[in-house]
Amino acid sequence: MLSRTAYSTPAILSTATALLSRTPRPCIAAKWLRSRGFTSAPPAEPIPLRKHLKDEAKRRKAEEKSGKKKSSVVDTRLEKWELTVGIEVHAELNTSRKLFSSAAATAEESNVLPNSRVALFDAAMPGSQPQFQPATLIPALRAALALGCTIQRTSRWDRKHYFHWDQPNGYQITQFYEPFAKDGVLRVGADDGVPAGDLNGADSLNIGIKQVQMEQDTAKTTQVPPSTYHIDLNRAGHPLIEIITLPHIHSPQTAAAVVRKIQGVLKSVDACVTGMELGGLRADVNVSVRQRGTHGTSSYSGVTGLGQRTEIKNLSSFAAVENAIVAERDRQIAVLEAGGVIEGETRGWTLGATETTLLRGKEGEVDYRYMPDADLPPLIIGSDLVRHLEETLPELPDKTTERVQAQYGLSKKDAMTIVSLDDGERLEFLEEVVDLLRARVGAQGDEASQLGRLAGNWVIHELGGLLTTTDMEWQNVAITAAELADLLSHLHTKQITSRTAKQLLRTIHELPPTVERPSVEQLIDEGGLRLRPLSEEGYVALAESVLSESPQVVAAVKEKGQKGKVMWLVGQMMRLGEEGTVEPQKAKEVMQKLLGI
Amino acid sequence: MHSARRCWHRASRHPLQPACKHVRAQHAQAGSLNAITNTAAPSNAEEQGRLAGKNVAIKDNITTSSLPTTAASGILSTHVSPFEATVVRLLRQNGATITSTTNLDEFGMGSHSQHSVHGPVLSPFTRDGIPLSPGGSSGGSAVAVASGQCWTALGTDTGGSVRLPAAYVGVVGFKPSYGLLSRWGVIQYANSLDTVGVLARSVGDVREVFEVLNQHDARDPTSLPDSVRQRVTSSRSERQDHKGKALRIGIPLDYNITSLAPSIRKTYTTLLTTLQSQGHTLHPIHLPTTRLALSAYYVLAPAEASSNLAKYDGIRYGQRSTTATADASPAEKLPLYAATRAEGFGEEVKRRILLGAYTLMSEARDNYFLQAQKVRRLVQRDFDRVFAAPNPLLDAGGHDIGEGEREEDVVDVLLTPTAPTLPPTVEEVQRSSPVESYMNDVFTVPASLAGLPAASVPVALPEAVREGLGEGDVRSVGMQVIGQFGDDELVLRAAEVIEKLYH
Repeated sequence: MLSRTAYSTPAILSTATALLSRTPRPCIAAKWLRSRGFTSAPPAEPIPLRKHLKDEAKRRKAEEKSGKKKSSVVDTRLEKWELTVGIEVHAELNTSRKLFSSAAATAEESNVLPNSRVALFDAAMPGSQPQFQPATLIPALRAALALGCTIQRTSRWDRKHYFHWDQPNGYQITQFYEPFAKDGVLRVGADDGVPAGDLNGADSLNIGIKQVQMEQDTAKTTQVPPSTYHIDLNRAGHPLIEIITLPHIHSPQTAAAVVRKIQGVLKSVDACVTGMELGGLRADVNVSVRQRGTHGTSSYSGVTGLGQRTEIKNLSSFAAVENAIVAERDRQIAVLEAGGVIEGETRGWTLGATETTLLRGKEGEVDYRYMPDADLPPLIIGSDLVRHLEETLPELPDKTTERVQAQYGLSKKDAMTIVSLDDGERLEFLEEVVDLLRARVGAQGDEASQLGRLAGNWVIHELGGLLTTTDMEWQNVAITAAELADLLSHLHTKQITSRTAKQLLRTIHELPPTVERPSVEQLIDEGGLRLRPLSEEGYVALAESVLSESPQVVAAVKEKGQKGKVMWLVGQMMRLGEEGTVEPQKAKEVMQKLLGI
Repeated sequence: MHSARRCWHRASRHPLQPACKHVRAQHAQAGSLNAITNTAAPSNAEEQGRLAGKNVAIKDNITTSSLPTTAASGILSTHVSPFEATVVRLLRQNGATITSTTNLDEFGMGSHSQHSVHGPVLSPFTRDGIPLSPGGSSGGSAVAVASGQCWTALGTDTGGSVRLPAAYVGVVGFKPSYGLLSRWGVIQYANSLDTVGVLARSVGDVREVFEVLNQHDARDPTSLPDSVRQRVTSSRSERQDHKGKALRIGIPLDYNITSLAPSIRKTYTTLLTTLQSQGHTLHPIHLPTTRLALSAYYVLAPAEASSNLAKYDGIRYGQRSTTATADASPAEKLPLYAATRAEGFGEEVKRRILLGAYTLMSEARDNYFLQAQKVRRLVQRDFDRVFAAPNPLLDAGGHDIGEGEREEDVVDVLLTPTAPTLPPTVEEVQRSSPVESYMNDVFTVPASLAGLPAASVPVALPEAVREGLGEGDVRSVGMQVIGQFGDDELVLRAAEVIEKLYH
């Protein structure tokens, strides 16, 4: 169900939103919030995506550690109580028209005048009627197929009524009774973030998708303090899909993993607006608990024996999904253990909160008075279209990860990382680099796989590190795949040292994009960076001078057997030697020989 | 003043129209009948086309770009539509002049055209000096036609809103099959039932307008596509051409209700006898679901109305309450827009919105809305069982009709009275309860539920009945011809057969 509904007061939108579109990529959550206008202050200094991911990982680790202590309290309760969660995810479809009018669909951030993309029906002009735009069906079908759903030949449109100024007709057109897709399944595993306790030894969990339906988005509200609201109908009528999972989820982490996975799937089949972090995603979660081994009296989506559920609406980040469920689970357990009763109510949760808050109780529940929309004929989807889309469906993230592991010899972790970065652009870049590199080196078999790993390492870690230290977004990276392939082929064939290669990478990265760029070859030659191998004698002389300068270290290695210090000595050789002459491997061999180890 | 002359000319020999002096009287009092809501400035443009020089009035719930479109509601009292309805555009394209917009029951909700922000419409006929009800909701269109203020007028018919006023003021009213005439620009009341209809002084005039408007419109998603229109036409031409042949006329026994006024019954039986004497055959048939149809209609139409009228919040157009509670952040516990909607809507509209909101509630839905939908399907099945022509919207096998269920004695058209009584006076209307008012629609609602073409034709009251009525009272009552879906031309032809009996 659409969650930005009646009676929720939109927060203030700062005018900073528009001005910030050229600043570096902020974290997903912050960007989402800003694009939706859910912030009251100009956002703080945007955090680069990579840093955000790092921080998130750090936070999660820290939480895991501290969680062990905390969870010892919770754990005893969780042994007694079982959590059940069902999720509804809303995603904005990537279409050029609105769902029921030929007005252009507007991406959130584009610089379009408010209320400039509004057809008569979008403004609910008396006497106007909806006109279904068949092209909007394509991304919706792709999404449903990617989620393993069965496409229904006939589906229908229903009106869901509620009064709010962001809903010009007084109802939202959705597919409540007969959705276009049903009975899908989403597989999530440890790599997606499912905790081991949830997996029970299995590789992965299958989360049932009850249905996927198409529906209209609402208008955007901007509050002009103190009491004026501006309504922009550009978004009104934009097509959304709502994905409803079965209540098959039993931990907050798995719930977040499911939402993350759904996002990845939608992105991979190009079903949603560019980069879902820009605002295409929000989730509502249904949460209930019951004592293990007992049967509750509630049921939904065909699953019986559950405890009374509550719904938490409008969650806009993965962390929000997870934390809101934790908070609501703990609240319900506390209420039940105190002898209370859980009411079927709608609750809200805000970022950073530790508790969910009551939005409206059962008696305040909106009755949406669903009815079929008599203006709209049933939607009939031909099996030929479904077949065609099935055959041309882009690769799903799991498949891509497997392929990247096999083709480039990357670790699973690195493969997942590169698949998830920059809307797949980073992966495309890598593929180009590897192709060029393999051609240049003429590599096959093991060597080809070695080159894949080398390139993967450089694209993910070296280039990624540069992005972090220079606070730059991927899309602004100037270095081309050909340049990196040149660089790596020189490195692989030992024409330059690894240190030189890293320096060159930084140099190219920092060249102003406007200047005529020298080739990698030119840079190497002009900088005199080509490896000029020292003779055996040269290495020995260099090693000896290092040894004579550091008698304590030599003593430590020889007398105390601190072999680790050898590498320090090798480092000294690298430092003393002329740029581009010392190979670390060779230096190490010579040093070990002189030390007699 | 072509149309007035024509009216004069015809009235002088036409037993259905009021006598000459009444026509003159009507013209004098036309303004006071309150049929017109807005009049266009005269245009000197030389129009070309089939309807050149013809003056057409438009019910004020069909958008015109030249005049305000108010739907007779306070909430739209200043509304000027940014676009024009397809049916209006087609009239203009064929040379017609849009002279005025006509008064109605607010949003089409009513049977007597008394619920209007512009004030009630009065029939040109009176009883003991008291004006009669013009019928509704297209009362303004019917009166404008009857009193010669226009050549023809467009109305809308959701449950009888074209046929009933036509019957009450003695003109022809035609509701085509649902989906033939575009609803783009027609302000929705109950959109699964709303149909644009034509009011005129003769069946021939109705046909002229209908033929101009009868075409597919891509902007109305319920407009029948050309492929279906062709299927309907070809299935009709496969059957024998009826022209000049005797009609098989169905007499629905279920319409012989106790509340049928003796005057109507007498007129009806006289008509049937006359038709029989002309060689047409009469066939008693059963439409058993008829008695449920009215209740089903008054569940479905308000349910759709409550949904269709949800858009009137005073934000993007229309009237907005100036009271403090109309603010975007309403006072404690007050629903959004309550003040705007309370001020903008009339009592009957509010009644139907509440009724509809109730029957759609999750607890009530199964008992009301879904039951009514089932009744609607049964009503349609009733009709499919008795018509010789199969319903072209169903599968070739007549999917919905079980084997052997079809009546052996199938018919071409049905003939019923349009309304169970003579028009009441406006005072009687005021005294009657809403439910009593709804009873007027008992004969018109079934065809609406099934989307069938139906026309009301004025039929002269027999001498004996007429003698019992006062001088200003009506001289005719409406008789309704109903045909199978897509049999619009057959309905018009049958209406013409009846019309000719009185020439």
